Amino acid sequence: MKAKTKKKSRLQKFWDSVSLILASRVATVGSIMVLFWLVLAFISLFWTPYDYNASDFLQNLGPNPQNWLGTDHLGRDIFSRLMKGTQVVLLKTRLPGEGNIIIPGGVAIWGVIGSMALGVTMGLNAGYRGGWWDQVIMQILDALIAFPRIVLYLVVIAALGQGDLVVILAISITGAPGVARLARSLAMDIKTRDYIRAAETRGESVWYIMFKEILPNASGPLLVDGMLRVGYAIFAIGTLGFLGIGLPPPDPDWGNMVNEARRNIFSNQLAVIWPALAIATLVIGLNLFADGLREEMTRYQK
Amino acid sequence: MNNLKKAPPVLILEDVAVAYKIRGGEIEAVQNVSFEINRGETHGIVGESGCGKSTVAWAVLNFLGANGYVKRGSIKFQGQELVGVTGEELRRLRGDQIAMVYQDPMQALNPSMRLGDQMSEVLTVHRDMDKKEAEKRCIEMLERVYMPDAANVMNRYPHQISGGQQQRVVIATALLNNPALLIMDEPTTALDVTVEAVVLDLIADLRREFDTAIMYITHNLGVVARVSTRVGVMYAGEMVERGTVEDIYKDPQHPYTQGLMRCVPKLGADKASSILYPIRGRVPPPNNRPVGCVFSPRCDYVREICHNKRPELLEFSSGVSVRCHFAGEIEADKWSPSDDILPPEIITDTSPREPILKLDNLKKYYEVQGSSLKDILGLGEQRYVKAVENADFDLPRGTTLGVVGESGCGKSTLIKTIIGLEQTTEGHAEFMEIDITDEISTRGEDVIKELQMVFQNPDSTMNPSYTVGQQIGRPMKRFSTVPKDEIRGEVIKLLESMRLGENYYDRLPRQLSGGEKQRVGIARALASHPNLVLCDEPVSALDVSVQAALLNLLLELQQEYDTTMMFIAHDLSVVRFFSDQVAVMYLGQIMEIGPANAIYAPPYHPYSEALLSAVPIPDPSAEQKHIRLEGTVPSAINPPDGCRFHTRCPRRELLPDGGAICETEMPPWRETAEGHRIFCHIPLETLNTFDPVITQKPEGSNHVS
Amino acid sequence: MARFILRSIISTIVTMLLVSIALFVLIEVGSGDITVKILGVFATPEQRASYRAQLGLDAPVWQRYIDWLIGNDWRAKRKVGYPLVTATNPQTGEKDWYADVDGQLTRWKMEEGRLITLKRQEDGSVTSHLSSGAWKINEEGNEYFWGVDTKNNTVMWMRGEGAEVWALTKAGLRKEGDGPQKYIPLRKGLLRGDPGISLQYGRPVAVTLIPRIRNTLVLAGVAFAVIMPLALFLGILAGINEGKPLDRFISITSLGATATPEFVTGIFLILIFGIWLKWLPAVALFTSADAIFENPKLLALPVLTLTAVELGYIARMTRASMVEVMESDYIRTAIIKGMPKTRIILKHAIRNALMAPITIIMLHVNWLVGGLVVVEVIFGYPGLGYYIYKSAIFGDFNAIEAAAMVTVAIAIITRLLGDLAYTLLNPRIRYS
Repeated sequence: MKAKTKKKSRLQKFWDSVSLILASRVATVGSIMVLFWLVLAFISLFWTPYDYNASDFLQNLGPNPQNWLGTDHLGRDIFSRLMKGTQVVLLKTRLPGEGNIIIPGGVAIWGVIGSMALGVTMGLNAGYRGGWWDQVIMQILDALIAFPRIVLYLVVIAALGQGDLVVILAISITGAPGVARLARSLAMDIKTRDYIRAAETRGESVWYIMFKEILPNASGPLLVDGMLRVGYAIFAIGTLGFLGIGLPPPDPDWGNMVNEARRNIFSNQLAVIWPALAIATLVIGLNLFADGLREEMTRYQK
Repeated sequence: MNNLKKAPPVLILEDVAVAYKIRGGEIEAVQNVSFEINRGETHGIVGESGCGKSTVAWAVLNFLGANGYVKRGSIKFQGQELVGVTGEELRRLRGDQIAMVYQDPMQALNPSMRLGDQMSEVLTVHRDMDKKEAEKRCIEMLERVYMPDAANVMNRYPHQISGGQQQRVVIATALLNNPALLIMDEPTTALDVTVEAVVLDLIADLRREFDTAIMYITHNLGVVARVSTRVGVMYAGEMVERGTVEDIYKDPQHPYTQGLMRCVPKLGADKASSILYPIRGRVPPPNNRPVGCVFSPRCDYVREICHNKRPELLEFSSGVSVRCHFAGEIEADKWSPSDDILPPEIITDTSPREPILKLDNLKKYYEVQGSSLKDILGLGEQRYVKAVENADFDLPRGTTLGVVGESGCGKSTLIKTIIGLEQTTEGHAEFMEIDITDEISTRGEDVIKELQMVFQNPDSTMNPSYTVGQQIGRPMKRFSTVPKDEIRGEVIKLLESMRLGENYYDRLPRQLSGGEKQRVGIARALASHPNLVLCDEPVSALDVSVQAALLNLLLELQQEYDTTMMFIAHDLSVVRFFSDQVAVMYLGQIMEIGPANAIYAPPYHPYSEALLSAVPIPDPSAEQKHIRLEGTVPSAINPPDGCRFHTRCPRRELLPDGGAICETEMPPWRETAEGHRIFCHIPLETLNTFDPVITQKPEGSNHVS
Repeated sequence: MARFILRSIISTIVTMLLVSIALFVLIEVGSGDITVKILGVFATPEQRASYRAQLGLDAPVWQRYIDWLIGNDWRAKRKVGYPLVTATNPQTGEKDWYADVDGQLTRWKMEEGRLITLKRQEDGSVTSHLSSGAWKINEEGNEYFWGVDTKNNTVMWMRGEGAEVWALTKAGLRKEGDGPQKYIPLRKGLLRGDPGISLQYGRPVAVTLIPRIRNTLVLAGVAFAVIMPLALFLGILAGINEGKPLDRFISITSLGATATPEFVTGIFLILIFGIWLKWLPAVALFTSADAIFENPKLLALPVLTLTAVELGYIARMTRASMVEVMESDYIRTAIIKGMPKTRIILKHAIRNALMAPITIIMLHVNWLVGGLVVVEVIFGYPGLGYYIYKSAIFGDFNAIEAAAMVTVAIAIITRLLGDLAYTLLNPRIRYS
């Protein structure tokens, strides 16, 4: 009986969030764009039209019945490469070392998880504890924020070399200050609430208050922010790929596809356009989704 | 009523209904509202939150937002129909013919514009006056609202003047064009009691002087009684009763009005007048109002017809109109409280009990950093906010101490220091014979669980992410007072004693009303069966009818659990009824402390006297002495030497040299009777000669505002 | 207000210091063996060690950090015993280091175990003669000499024990005898305007960096001048028309533009204007560092790309702030006072609405710098961003550190300016 009501409430919760998304036209459009790529990513795990790395066709073909999006300068099927390219971003991370160990969750996802973990911990400590904690943490964040993002990526990669983990680290470090600032301002707001006083008068530990009393109430804005950050991360991965220092082969990388095709821009313009569009639609989709959701949530609060 | 001339009313509302479009429908926030206001008249509109009183004001100004509109009825202003007026025509009326003052002056003023510019634009835009002359007029107007240093204020920004002064600026701005109608929406709610009293005097003066029609909206029955000539009572979007203040307060006809009168503290001469009888149930939300009479679910006299048919407005020969099927048949005198709202009997146990809390010259100072270069480099003299100074009293087990004072008087800091949210600066505090001068993080669990707190704001007292059950259960889990598998049962028991059922266990805070949230807050505080409960204004954010119920519940629980309580309030009317002792604080200093009855009768401390005189009493027949404090509360960073109250004390002249001693020397504690102490230089003999602040007017005399 | 400004300035200085430490440690410690990049993978460990010593990389990290930040001539001076000064080399136009021996600019070299003194004449020519009696004796009885060599190092030679060193020449590594035992590569330090020698180009970083910074400032300046007024205007326009089609259009367009990576936007612009419309050159060739001044048309596409990406963000910030202000109580007051709408917007709203974005916009300048890197790479624009990119790929740590510090300085200084602008706009801070 009890289990049933719980199950029902979970279903209810799911429907609530779905209807929240559907209530906003912006969020609906965004989620469709994101879902499109997610579905392609899952399909690519089992099937792509052709081998993504094999030069099976003539070079620089336009779209045709065999190659829906045409072929690139090496005669590879662009659609297969686009499909395969979703995996490292969204679905899998390749660990360094022997044996090609792969863990689930794309580089963009882990990067954002990393920056959230780092940022939330710093932000909650700064915001809730205040005083010296706040001063020191904010000073560190200020220093991190002062780095232009791409310069920081370049520095990290210049220092540590290429690789999935390095990209995750770079995304985590560059994302953390933004998350921390948000978490800090939320914590500073929430800590003035009486229920925090109540917890303090119960003698709860600082960590309990930060993670059990404050965090659950800050999770809404943080999740929306995280969603936006997945967009930024894909943006960053694309940029790094474009600069030739992104995710290493053999998996195709959208940014790198743009970069390679750019050199042949006079002979084959479509080869540039497809991966560029792919990145743009995925990032815009995530942005629209997060934006619509945020708007709907604040309206809900009002 | 000499101002009821034959001139037509300034404003006539006829059967007005206001609706808001929402997703998938429409809500009628206000319906069937009719009234008129004459020149030189202050018409009060009173009601609890969510009853639609502000909506009426916004409807008059046609400022209902994108989704609101006047659905039915007509609003006539000086003969002109206002419904449907938009654009340029509406703009010309606003600020010129109709002006408005609303609640929070700090929010209402533009933070980045000089006050002078904000004022004078009303003249330059509406009257095409040139800038110089406009400024001159503004200064004159500021002087008329008794603004000190008016010319200088023109060049300042809002944050540079106090809240009371800000409200004067707003009022002065509203009066600049000598509007025919002035709408005031809770203009004093954000202000302290003594400041409120001064502003209310000002409003009364201005009405006489300007001959303006004033629509005065408030939730406070006492304020209405002080400023209005006529009053309309609103409930759930309808105006249920309307008439002169005397008629309504003395002989209310509508069951809701009667109920309201019974649940507000009156501060009369006898203690019985402060017993409160709540109205059961709660105000229905606008989207779920009953079909028949809106008050029927809460009415004591409800009959079949009330559930089915909306009552018509009945008008009496006295001019009182009532929206009730049985108006005139109901006699308020014959009402007797039903069992479920009966307040508990007050057991006055006179046998002295051992003190549970002993404070000995407790001090709490905060360090502040100055803003000069020297201070930043740490070379300046260290300065302190002296938030609590020499708190010194014992609290016997099982009794209640009420602590009263205006904002910034240190009452919250005092209880925060006791509970350990703040470190004591100096002095000694002992609770159950254990030293508690340290912070909570260094206290043992046995002390922590015996000291719990109830908070002020119902919307923030509960963590929105956890259910009621989880939150009440948490202290039991944390202090292991109850075995894990029995927590649920124990929580439900507690919920039931809060008059909330088991079905509340799995609810989230957003599903509860304000009063229910406060009940859960109290249950959470009581979950570890503490010996001392500190209540920080637990009812001040609630509507009066809910307030009364909660106060009664607190009293009952205290007797049931034999808990000791400290109860903070910002005015004297709330604490009287169930405090055994009352302490009055001003600027960090306890000015007077003693048994509740002794505080409300002479001898008074001059500050307590002023406070009592400032509290608006919802009883037009009560007469209050007119004592007003001048100036503003000094900063706690450098509190005045000697007696902290000397800069504003109205009784100083009673001392030789006009009270020179007050400026230099700390006053002595003067003990009047058993346990009643007054912190004042004025000798007891003189203090004893003060008249009582509140007296009953002789029958038949007119209401004076 | 004084307090606020002082605080900002102190915080700025501390931030710069922290950044410099982080940057230095990350690059110097993290980047592994730079000699692999320079000498190639086939160099022997012995060759690497020798070359590392020549670069001064054998010193402890803290020592190198201090050298990098404030220079090491003051430290080397104590070893040499004479003031160390620089003089311009008439051939390269770059500065060379000399010891000032009683007014005579002097360097030394070791040839076949003998120490030779090189004296610089007024006209820049050098006379050489054998130096004698300059050797000092250490505790172990060995004769040693601290002097300035011809490669701008302060070095220590041992008499009769010329070390074997591997010198990097144009033809590759060459083994040389008579080498010094210790090297201190002389530099004035970043704070004194000398970030060291570029490993990639072999020239002082400062010389190549300055025209790059100038070019980037031109690009960023033009972009900023286009973006700011346009973005604020669009933001305010959208804000006062909240929910209307115009607002929807501006909001969605700017969201799309902001969310599209710079390189995608840049490529599309090249496709549209360069290849399809042929209005502008598809591949801009920057023949020299001054090309943009000779042919300003080259700026068009980079500026347009930056504008497309940055415009949206600022417009959205401004819009959000404007919407918030328009819903505030004091705007309600102004409406109720019967003020005309234009007056409400101009006098009451804009100032408050710009307060929040201005700090955020200034914070956002480092996004602009980040975008610059990509834009410069796409268009081959000879600016700071491209320089950082090239240096990072090569691992040229002196160059990347200097260039990164410049970008950080730009970001932090603009932030400081933003803080100051905020204090000026906000009377609550100005009068406290």
